[in-house]
This record gives sequence, structure tokens and C-alpha cells, in this order.
Amino acid sequence: MTTLDASRPTHLNIEASSDNYLTHTRGLLSWAFTLDHKRIGVMYMFAILGSFFVGGVFALLVRTKLLFPDAVNWMTAEQYNQAFTLHGAVMVFLVIVPSIPAALGNFILPIMLGAKDVAFPRLNLASFWLWIFGAIFVVISLLAGSFDTGWTFYTPYSTRTTLGGVVWVITGVFILGFSSIFTGMNFIVTIHKLRPPGMTWFRMPLFLWALYSTALIQVLATPVLAITLALVAIERVFHIGVFDPAMGGDPVLFQHFFWFYSHPAVYIMILPGMGIISEIIAVHSHRHIFGYRFIAFSSIAIAFFSFLVWGHHMFVSGQSGLMGAVFSLITFSVAIPSAIKVFNWLATLYKGSISLNTPMLYGLAFLFLFTIGGLTGLHLGTLNTDIHLHDTYFVVAHFHYVMMGSALIAMVGGLHHWWPKMFGRMYSEALGKLGCVLVFVGFNVTFFTQFMLGSHGMPRRYYLYQPEFQIYHVISTCGSYIMALGFIITGICLLKSLFSGKPAPANPWGGRSLEWQCPSPPPHDNFPTTPRVGDCYDFSIVRWDDSAGGYVVDRSLDPELNPNAPKRAGAHH
Amino acid sequence: MNAFFSTIVPTIATAPPPAPRELTGGFWLPQASSVNAENIDATFYFITYLGYFFFALIVALMVIFVVKYRQRGREIHAEGPTHHTALEVTWTIIPLLLSILLFYFGFKGFLSASTPPLNSYQIDVTAQQWSWSFKYPNGVVSDDLIVPADKPVKLVMRSEDVLHSLFVPDFRVKKDVVPGRYTTLWFNAPEPTGMDARKAHHLFCTEYCGKDHSNMNRKVYVLNQAEFDEWAEYQRTADQRSPVDERYFRVAPKLYKRCISCHTLDGTPSTGPSWGAHDGLPAIWERTEKGLTKFGDGTTLKDYIGPGKEYETPEAYISDSILNPGKHLVAPFGNAMPTFKGQISDVGIQALIDFMKRLDEFDAKGNYLKPIPPLPQQTADPKKTANAAK
Ligand code: HEC
Ligand SMILES: [Cu+2]
Ligand SMILES: [Cu+2]
Repeated sequence: MTTLDASRPTHLNIEASSDNYLTHTRGLLSWAFTLDHKRIGVMYMFAILGSFFVGGVFALLVRTKLLFPDAVNWMTAEQYNQAFTLHGAVMVFLVIVPSIPAALGNFILPIMLGAKDVAFPRLNLASFWLWIFGAIFVVISLLAGSFDTGWTFYTPYSTRTTLGGVVWVITGVFILGFSSIFTGMNFIVTIHKLRPPGMTWFRMPLFLWALYSTALIQVLATPVLAITLALVAIERVFHIGVFDPAMGGDPVLFQHFFWFYSHPAVYIMILPGMGIISEIIAVHSHRHIFGYRFIAFSSIAIAFFSFLVWGHHMFVSGQSGLMGAVFSLITFSVAIPSAIKVFNWLATLYKGSISLNTPMLYGLAFLFLFTIGGLTGLHLGTLNTDIHLHDTYFVVAHFHYVMMGSALIAMVGGLHHWWPKMFGRMYSEALGKLGCVLVFVGFNVTFFTQFMLGSHGMPRRYYLYQPEFQIYHVISTCGSYIMALGFIITGICLLKSLFSGKPAPANPWGGRSLEWQCPSPPPHDNFPTTPRVGDCYDFSIVRWDDSAGGYVVDRSLDPELNPNAPKRAGAHH
Repeated sequence: MNAFFSTIVPTIATAPPPAPRELTGGFWLPQASSVNAENIDATFYFITYLGYFFFALIVALMVIFVVKYRQRGREIHAEGPTHHTALEVTWTIIPLLLSILLFYFGFKGFLSASTPPLNSYQIDVTAQQWSWSFKYPNGVVSDDLIVPADKPVKLVMRSEDVLHSLFVPDFRVKKDVVPGRYTTLWFNAPEPTGMDARKAHHLFCTEYCGKDHSNMNRKVYVLNQAEFDEWAEYQRTADQRSPVDERYFRVAPKLYKRCISCHTLDGTPSTGPSWGAHDGLPAIWERTEKGLTKFGDGTTLKDYIGPGKEYETPEAYISDSILNPGKHLVAPFGNAMPTFKGQISDVGIQALIDFMKRLDEFDAKGNYLKPIPPLPQQTADPKKTANAAK
């Protein structure tokens, strides 16, 4: 049997009952006040999945109403408006923005760095509790009369609507913003300060590059959202005109402020997803990621450009034509790094040893869906076609392909990828794949039809619609039911594994980075000493080991870790 | 010809929605009915075919690689190249060039779409929760948009309350309507549709504006120049031409369509007070006459009506409520009513007041219960009427 690391004993033979982060201390309070990034990540994960369920229920309500073009009694126009608003607000602010960084990122980032924890564990805990407070405010807003502003809170409707929940939800989003900023700050410092020996910037796993770029956006853009929403609240409560022309304000100013955050926020959602996909594709193809530097730089490029393109949401808002042109031009510059990533992922498949495990299915689904989402983005970034498509279902379909089909699918893929690591259990591959296939099929049935709806002129946020659109709506709604079924099966599959899953080996998939070199689930301290790392995408030293029941990273073969390592053909740098 | 409009126009205004229009156009886009649509469609299809190509390429490569390089057993063969600078630069440059090309197409199309020709026919548009009103140079105001064929038409738009957006899919035009600003949009529709509701184009509000956002849609009728001129001239005098004592059923129901989203006639609560009897109050006219209406500040209408008070007559109060809403807020409602100043003429307001006095002659949607006789001085032209009713 090979040793994992010459400098310290192997953990492979540790029994499930011995120390791991799940059993390290016991009791509810030991979780509520934990400073362990893994526990915080897990708590975040369940909280976010709970919110995902709530947001999903609202989505199904909306889709079910849309089966019929005319009014149906069980849901009024007001209730419909609240349902789509809540769906959007919950999914954006409570689910997708925090999902990957706060849940998976929190868990994996320090382990990938071989660190014991993030740089500021208390700040991390504070971020989690801020999230909970933010969520509580969203719930209060429901009790206080709900809100119907759309997740975009466009003024002056948001300062005029008579529903009582607006200020509450704004407060909630404000707080959630700080939760997001705290996570971002923590990650930036952690990545700067806690990289292990041997891990230069260009040796970091790409997931870390993605989290790093995301964190930069979180820290720089979120304050703008917080201030903007605070201004809306001030306008509502104290009638100080900022955005409402009736009080001397400018409603288009709100759109500028809002999208100055919310366009970068799109990348807060998708960049970490791209990071996960880089990991999933490399690990399950068991092959060096293709074009590491291009992928890493494209993350940074996307983060940078994302601040310069907000005006593409406003081509028909009445902003000047010149501004529209400038924003359109810069918008295309975001398409290029995205295209680079897709081609590099494809090239990573070339000559790999591809295993079609559930996480890899999600990875391939991502490639498929992100390609569609990205290509339809071209229709919307182009000035004259956007005139026709803006605020129709085409946009709805496009951003679902990107935010759900890509960001969320990546998150679910990542969940399956790291689940054995997080809980030390394998889930049923058959159930996992079934769930994935149903979600994939349901997703396309739901949202591809919406492209046609939109290009034929169906506006978004409509409670009633022209009867000729009905057929598309019916197909789309059926798709959403298939998707819901897929998610239910996925949920069952994962939960079942906790009770009856086979114990997971340290490295079930054949991963190479550090998280696959500590036991599953990891011990409280992750690693007894900070491990040295080599090239975290060099899979030539990963091989199957029967006695471990999984793959092992044979560190003794890595010339960087072991000067006596035999020379191998095909070792890369 | 006049007879044609005298019968058709009220019909559009009050009749139940016509049979659904079929989806027109192709797989992706609806019929292209404006001069600029062609240009936008060309860009759309160019991008779409580009999309088909890259999608097919990516998915095909993905499938081929996954099949060809499947892991057999648990062996790992990790021998593919780790990078290839020339290749990577290629797939950076190609998207770069394509994007510049797309930008150029889009920009060119956008320029012509946002520059109305100088000789455009101007129509002033006012959007409010939840109705459109279109005002023509001769002062005529309509709910549906009626435009001359084959002539550039420029819409100058403003909003009374929140954001709205005017969208005509068949014309490929859209522009937000922003309170506190004027925005413009133009198109040229070469093909006349006549007054046929099934041929008419949809006009939608595409910026979310509250409860009845999805009801804020109307039709666009394209008339050839002669018909259009006749329509505009007929409409200009229509209200005046109908006898004073008939305006409450000829003029008012059309206007009421702009109130219906907030004021019901049967007492059901909505955004504004129902004009029917409700909560122990009688219907609008009776409660106004008797001064029973209660305001949010605790006062009652009685305190304001009478000689020497703010309003000499109950009529003056109603008229002021329409032109200056929000001066006295009926309890428990908020300041949600837009003003109709400049949009409803004195004739119209008088007609609405008479309408309120005789609500029992209308159904819950504001349709006159008895058949509307043709205007006395007009002789109906049966051929045209039959045509239009089809
Ligand atoms: C966007 C909703 C809305 C629309 C559209 C609307 N109103 Fe109102 N209206 C209200 C509200 C809310 C009130 C109560 C607050 C107030 O008095 O201003 C009201 C009050 C009134 C009153 C005083 C009622 C009373 O009981 O004393 C009159 C008269 C009136 N509206 C007429 C009209 C007419 C005529 C129209 C259509 C041309 C119209 N409204 C369209 C919302 C609306
Ligand atoms: Cu954007
Ligand atoms: Cu609207």
C-alpha cells in the first residue's frame, strides 16, 4: 500500500466512528456556534436547499397558473404577481447568489488549500447568521403583506405599491448583501494568505480562481445594491425623492444603480459554477485541465468586464443611443472569455479517461445548457434584436439557461461531486443519474419553448396572455413538472445515502487536488500539517487502490514532493 | 364611410375580445409588418444560424469525445496535451471577430430604428395604470392605436405614474415609457389591416406595472391613408355629434374602459372605490349627491359640497376627482389614481357623470344593456358594417 504523504500517517484506515468534523463535538449549539468552515458550509447548504424548495414551489404555482390564458379563480392577478416576485427574489438572493460560494465554497476552499479553516472563522459564522437574519426578514415581509415589485424592485412602482412587505424585504436583501460581502472578504484573504507551500497562483485549482474572482465582485458590487435599496426604502418611508419623478427623482437612475450590482451579480452566480465545472470535468476525465491559464485569466476577465456592461439591460429604457452602443460593444467582450472556457472544457475531454458518474453527467449537462444560454445571449447583446426581445419570454428563457441551467446545475453537480467527501457516504448512482436526466429533459422542455414564446412576442410577468400562446405555455408547464420530479428524486437519492449509503473512500472519483487526499468526511482539522502540493491537475499519479476502496494520489511519485521519484513520461508543468 | 366607423368604433371599444388570432410568421418570429422588421429579422437569423453551428459543433465534439474516451475499468490514461497556445488563441480570435461583426449589424439596425424620419406622423401616447391613450394631431384620443399605412409614424410617449413599455411584436419595436420623461419610437407599417380585429397587430405593455400589467394590451389597426383621414375626421366630431342626452351610452362606456381596472360597477373591491353600492354605501352618484363619501382624513363629502364651499355641486366634485385625483382621498384608499387632465374632454367628463347617474342601464363591464341605435343623422351602410363585424 502506498503512503499518502511521507511526512504524516495515512488517514485511510480511520474508522467511520473516529474523529471527523460531523462527530467532533455534539449538540445543537456546537453547530450553531461552530467556527468550523465545514459545518458552516453544511448549514448553509441545508438552508439554501430549503430556500430552493420554497422558490421552486413559487415557480410551480406560476407555471400552473399559466396553463390557462385567462383568469382562473384559484389565483388572482395580485397573488400571481407576488408569486413570481417571490420566486425571483428567493432564487436570486437566498439561493443562487450564496449557493456555491457559501455552501460548497466554504466547505471545499480551505481543504483545497490544505488549511485548517478560512482566514476569519468568526466572520464566516457571522456571515451565516446574517444570511439567517436576512431570510427571517424575507419571511416577515410575507407576513407584513408581501411584495409584488418583481425581484428587480424597479422604481417608481416599488416606491408606490401599497403592499406592506416592501421595506421588510429590502431590509432582508440589505442584510443578505452583507452576508455575501463577508464571505467574499474571507475568501479573498484566505486565498492570499493561506495557500500551502508549492501552490503558486497558477497552481491553484480552478475552482479557487473562480471563487476568488467571485469574491472580488461580491466585495465591490454588493455595497451598491445595499445603498440603492436603502434609498428605495428611504423614499418609501420618508418620501425623499430619489427615484420617483413625482417627488423629483429619476427612475432610470435606479436602473443604472440596480444593474451596476445585478449584472456583476450574474457573474457572482455563474463564475463559481464555471469553477465547479472545471473541477468536475478534469476529475471525471482524469486528465490535466486543458489551457489552465486561459481558463484562470478568463475568470478574472469576466469579473472585470462584468462591471462595465450593466447598460445592456437598458437598451430600450430611454438611455441615449450612444450609451446603448458602448454597452453593447463591451457586452460582447464578455462572450469571449465564456467561449474560451467552453472550448477549453471540450478540449479537456479529448484523450481523457472519462467516467460518466452522476457529477460528470451534470458537468456535460452544464456544457450543453450553458452553450445555449450563451449563444442566445448574443441575440440580446445585439442592439437591434434586443429591441424586439427585451422583456419577453426570450429573456426569461435565456437567463434561466444561464442562472438555472448553468449556475444551479453546476451547484447540484458540485453537490454530487463533493457529497461523498462531505458526508462520507456514496449515493446510488442509478437514482442520481435518473434525477439528473429528468432535470435535464424537464429543463429543456420548460425553457426551450419559452424562447419561441418570447420571440413571438409574449411579454414576461403576464398573468393573462393571448390564447395563441397557450400551447407553448402548456408544454413549458409540463416540463416544469418533469423537472420537479427530477429534483425530488435527486433529493431522495442524496438523503437516502445519509442513512444507507456505502461508506465513501477518501477519493471515490479519482480526484487529484487536496480535498481528495484527506478522509471522507474530513477530520476537524482537515490535515494534521499543511501538506505540500504539486500540480493539482497531474493525474498521472492517481490510481485505483483496492485496499482503499477508491483512488489514491500516490504522492511518492510526484517529483515535486519526492526528490527520488522515478522520472515519468508525460509529466507536465 | 362615416357609417362604417360610427358602428365599428364603439364595437371595438365595448365588444368582448374577438376570436383568437393564429400565431403568424415562422418558427421563431411573428409576421414582419414594418419596414424595419426585415433588418432586425436578418440579424436575428444570422445570430440564430451562427448559434446552430456552434451548438452543433460543441455538442458533437462533446458526444464524440465522451464515447471515444470512455474510461474502461479503473485505469487512468492521462496523456492529452495540457495546452496548445495556437489553438487557444484561435478560439479567442474567432469569437472576437464574430462579436465585432454582430455588434456592427446590431448597431446599424439600431441607428435606423431609433432615428425617426423628419416627415413622421406624430401621435402622443400616454400610459397609465392600466391603459393606453393615443392622441392624434387633430385632438382625437383613442384606446387602440390607429395608424396610416406606408407612412413613418412617430410615437412620443409619457407615463402618468410608473414605468410602462410599448411593444408591437409585429413591428419589432419597443420602448419604455418613463414618468417624467418623453421617449419616442417610430415605425412604418406598409400593409393596411383595416378595422379587422383578427388582422390587427398586438400592442403590449412589457414593463411590469402592477396588478393589471397583463391587461394593458391593445390593438394596432393600420388604415390606408384615405380611410385613416376619414377615421380621424369622423372621430374628431363624433362626441359632439352625438346628442347630449345620448352621450352617456355612446361616449362614456369607451371612457369607462380606462377606469375599469380600479373602479368596478358591482361593488367588488379593487384598487379604487367601486362605483356600485358597497359597504353600506349607495352607488357613486347617490353617495356623492348625499355627501356620504368618507375621506381618509376623517372628513365627509358633506363638508365640501354646497354653496360657498369647495364644490358648488356634486358634479364639480366628480369632475375634480377625475382631473385632480388625490386632493381628497376616499377612505381607505391610497393616492393611486392617475390624473386624466388633458385626456378626457369636458364632453367626456359630462358623459361619465351621466353614466354614473344611470348605472342601472349598464352591465357589470359597462356595456349598455339596450341596443345602441345608429346616430340619427347617419345612414348605415350595411355592406361595410357586415364586413367589419366578421
Ligand atoms: C389606477 C387606478 C385608478 C384608475 C385607472 C382610475 N381611478 Fe379613480 N380612483 C382611484 C382611487 C385609488 C381612488 C380613491 C382615492 C382618491 O379619492 O383619489 C379613486 C377615486 C375616484 C373618484 C372619487 C370616488 C368617490 O367615491 O368619491 C372618482 C370620481 C374617480 N376615481 C373617477 C375615475 C374615473 C372617471 C376614471 C377613469 C377615467 C378613474 N377614476 C380611473 C383609482 C383609479
Ligand atoms: Cu447583465
Ligand atoms: Cu405594464
